[in-house]
Amino acid sequence: MKLPKFEFAEPESLAECCRFLSVQGGKAQVLAGGTDLLMAMKNRTKLPETLVDLNAMPDLKRISFTEKEGLKAGAMVNLRRFAEAPIVKEKYPLLSQAALAVGDAQLQAMGTIGGNLCQDGCCLYYNRPPMLRQNFDPCHKLGGQVCHAVKGGKNCWATYCGDLAPALLVMNARLKICGAQGEKTIFLKELFSGDGKKPNTLSPDQIVTEILVPPAAPRSGGAYLKMRVRQTIDYPLLGVAVFLALKQNDRFFDNISVALTGVNMSPVLIDGAEWISEESVPQEIIEKLVETAYRKARPINNTFGYSPKYRREMVKIYVRSAARQSLAQAEKQGGAV
Amino acid sequence: MKKTIQMNVNGEPYELSVAPNQTLLDVLRDELSLTGTKKGCDSGACGGCTVIMDGEPILSCLTLAIRCNQRHITTIEGLAPQGKLHPLQESAMKHNAVQCGYCTPGWILSAKALIDSNPHPNREDVQHAIAGNLCRCTGYKRIEAAILDATGQDPDA
Repeated sequence: MKLPKFEFAEPESLAECCRFLSVQGGKAQVLAGGTDLLMAMKNRTKLPETLVDLNAMPDLKRISFTEKEGLKAGAMVNLRRFAEAPIVKEKYPLLSQAALAVGDAQLQAMGTIGGNLCQDGCCLYYNRPPMLRQNFDPCHKLGGQVCHAVKGGKNCWATYCGDLAPALLVMNARLKICGAQGEKTIFLKELFSGDGKKPNTLSPDQIVTEILVPPAAPRSGGAYLKMRVRQTIDYPLLGVAVFLALKQNDRFFDNISVALTGVNMSPVLIDGAEWISEESVPQEIIEKLVETAYRKARPINNTFGYSPKYRREMVKIYVRSAARQSLAQAEKQGGAV
Repeated sequence: MKKTIQMNVNGEPYELSVAPNQTLLDVLRDELSLTGTKKGCDSGACGGCTVIMDGEPILSCLTLAIRCNQRHITTIEGLAPQGKLHPLQESAMKHNAVQCGYCTPGWILSAKALIDSNPHPNREDVQHAIAGNLCRCTGYKRIEAAILDATGQDPDA
């Protein structure tokens, strides 16, 4: 499939980039790794007039860490480099695990962490070439009035399928956003709109420039489990990230949270803080998280592979397994129990 | 608007005028006649178009040629200069890891990128490295054996 025609811009500074995007007002698209966007362009579901390449800005490719502030990673760091950076492997094994769950070796070398967060929603009826779309009326995401995945659906139900987002959400990550009006820092959960049509809240002139992750507590553990048909290439049919920290010198939780991907229009974050009290038994809190995750998961029939019912049932099993793995990891990290 | 890029392919410098919407795959095959790089799905799923760019395996069907300015690319043709086969290619023949041959350039380059960064990979490393290269006829066991053997390890272990 040939790509449609477009212009190509390579700004050398963030200010220049945001100014250009602002002038273009939505006619230009930011190009990070390109694995998501170029495929959408080949499918003619996105037809930007200009692609704005972020490659020429070395600041967006830096990774740094301080004990006080935690991890700072530029949005253009590729997934492989991020996962294999010694500091990420040592201090944030959960993030490394999630980044290596994306696609395959090639897609990890091409895709970036910022691009992975900002990827578009997936739907069987949308992510397909024009030839296969021609017998269907245009859906909400293509500017039409119907949803083929949810009959009678008034909104777009395209599913958010990023692997990195749930892992970053449970670690309470923040993002630096740069726009024509300047720079701001937001919590990652504010990036997601919950609208399948446009899953992120960025305006056309804004780009994600940096991902900030606070330092992990001393006795903490995390796990990301991903369900897919093949153990490679595929998007998650369900992805579950858990991150928890234990109190010093005892076996109770200091905090625990769960995030799901692949089962809703945005990643679903569930914070276990409300159930944590001095008396709470860890197993009971985990079961409360399992039940809440099950209730909030809304997989629909818009993907290849397992049925929505099966995927929803598996939420319980995946959350429980991820929580157990996280707990075992946290318990290994010193401190008397 | 076309732009001139300089790119090193298999050790040879090239200066090319490319349009923004040309993929690296199309430039390699149609302009440089390096047809060893295969156009399979052309949508980032099969791995047939894998090439090595600055040491990393990438999918040339989802890479814009215009972004390859000053980059070093290795294609399958670059593995056997003057006809002398690379150990991975010798090993592929020895283990009958080539049936129809269509996926072969892709997985050999994925394997080369792996052993360049990790000269003694274990079976799991090999499986991860070639997981994005779909093979529909040879089967993956012979491919794994060929890669392990090429790195001096026992393919049956």
